[in-house]
Amino acid sequence: MMLEIRNLHASVDGREILKGLDLSVRAGEVHAIMGPNGAGKSTLAYVLAGREGYEVTAGSVTFDGTDLLSMAPHERAAAGLFLGHQYPVEIPGVSNLLFLRTAINAQRKERGEPEISGADFMKRVRTEAAALGLDMEMLKRGVNVGFSGGEKKRNEAFQLAMLEPRLAILDESDSGLDIDALKVVAGGINRFMGPERAVLLITHYQRLLDHVRPTHVHVLMDGRIVESGGPELALRLESEGYERHAA
Amino acid sequence: MRPELPTRRDEAWRWADLRHAEAFLETPAPANDALPETDHLWLDLAGPRQLFVAGQPVGAAAQAPTPDRTLPRHPLADLAAARATAGATLEIPAGADAGLVQLLHVGRGGAAHGITRVILGAGARLTLVESFADEGQDHWLNHRLDAELGPGAELVRVSRTLSGHGLVSDRAAVRMREASRFVHLTLGLGAASLRAEVEVLLEGAGAHAEVDGILLADGAAVLDALTRLDHRVPDTSSRQRWRLVAGGTAQASIAGGVAVARHAQKTDAEQSLKALLLRRTAAVNLKPELEIFADDVACAHGCTVGELDRAALFYLGTRGVPPAEAEALLTLAFVADALAGLPEGALQDALDAEARAWLARHAGGRA
Repeated sequence: MMLEIRNLHASVDGREILKGLDLSVRAGEVHAIMGPNGAGKSTLAYVLAGREGYEVTAGSVTFDGTDLLSMAPHERAAAGLFLGHQYPVEIPGVSNLLFLRTAINAQRKERGEPEISGADFMKRVRTEAAALGLDMEMLKRGVNVGFSGGEKKRNEAFQLAMLEPRLAILDESDSGLDIDALKVVAGGINRFMGPERAVLLITHYQRLLDHVRPTHVHVLMDGRIVESGGPELALRLESEGYERHAA
Repeated sequence: MRPELPTRRDEAWRWADLRHAEAFLETPAPANDALPETDHLWLDLAGPRQLFVAGQPVGAAAQAPTPDRTLPRHPLADLAAARATAGATLEIPAGADAGLVQLLHVGRGGAAHGITRVILGAGARLTLVESFADEGQDHWLNHRLDAELGPGAELVRVSRTLSGHGLVSDRAAVRMREASRFVHLTLGLGAASLRAEVEVLLEGAGAHAEVDGILLADGAAVLDALTRLDHRVPDTSSRQRWRLVAGGTAQASIAGGVAVARHAQKTDAEQSLKALLLRRTAAVNLKPELEIFADDVACAHGCTVGELDRAALFYLGTRGVPPAEAEALLTLAFVADALAGLPEGALQDALDAEARAWLARHAGGRA
């Protein structure tokens, strides 16, 4: 089991948001977590990534058998976990390229691997940027500075490609995207997927799932998974909404 | 007669730490022929170098330059003029480019005074890096730079304080003729006390001054800067960018002054003062001081004090960057625009690397 979440309870500012969540993800699987606003979708993403202020009050999470919750955010990243942010942060004065190279080398150092060479790094940057339609001039600018909403999400997909994690948790990767950008980001996710990897797609809408086919779909309501199924569940939610779970 | 030093009751000195000036006022640095280890103190850049230990030149005859007596009076600069027995005179003839010159001043166990005199002929160019360091003991290095820039001349000066003990007081006073250009960077990296002053007299149309500073204060350092950009004639411009970072129980301060004379129309003066607190135990002071007596001028100024963006730190963490490295990276990004006034190239790169190395050692919870 790659990711095993058991009876997870988590609070923000003293208010319980996750109320006993269970989820198991194996390598090769794409899980979609769907649910209405306020269900706890982003809280789940932040708890898994280790954001401060998101306090786990009960339960356990293991990643490849290791206790994820005892690790700092950067250690989780080095272990192979990636969070695609719903609201990517702008960092003026740090270029996208410096940021990425710093990140790659920090992860390699944490794993006891040598640094990436400048030539290898730039070669991979060119390949992945081209695939996602990001031009090199943009990458020389500050992280996400002056990027449109769609460009920020493409940049997240670019970082996903460059960092090569094993588990990608993608929080509302489709929000704010027009249909062309949605296809580009979905293409990035599909290229990333493989038998040794897994994806947790957190999404409010079904439309991303037209382009990234999930193996499992879960409905998150009020801090718990209330229903699980295959891709057909997403289609039903699209037509019926979440009302039948609301009781 | 013992000279009077300023006190914190004087508005212009309210954030200064002059304890070592008081302590060493009548205690000159001891005579000692032993040479300090200085290899690591120079910037690794080509060009002539001169070392001064406790105010005396090493390997050259001591000769005190004649100070520019027409400059505004100043308690510490006047003291340097009265007591310095050595210094450097850099007189560059019209049209000549003197490249980069480095002067290194090392303090030693007492007071030492110094003067650097720069005279640039029309169109002449000079880049001057003056660095201040010590041998690991408390001391007081009191220095003044007097510069005159002829028409179209260009002076770049870096005042770089690496001192870990005692007090460095450095005052640059510069007269600018028409169409001359002056770029000044104060780089304060010490864990001790610094008083850095820059006064610029813009006296010719088309003169442009960039007076920037980076004060990185840690431990119990007290780094204090004061500027005055005095626009005396029409059609001059200036820009000031100061970035202060304070950790530990350190204090970093800047009083950024702009004065525009009554007839100095079309002055364009811009000022940006920003500070970052790495720890709540540190303190920063930012004070813009604008005295504007002309009406057709543009004087933009901005002041901000903040802490590192926690959302950005988390973002970097989720990409695998450990907290200390993330803090250093964000802090470097914060200070980097104060280096933008320097010409692009080896000098800018060297100072960027120096700030980066300092931040890697001091930012990130190690303060």
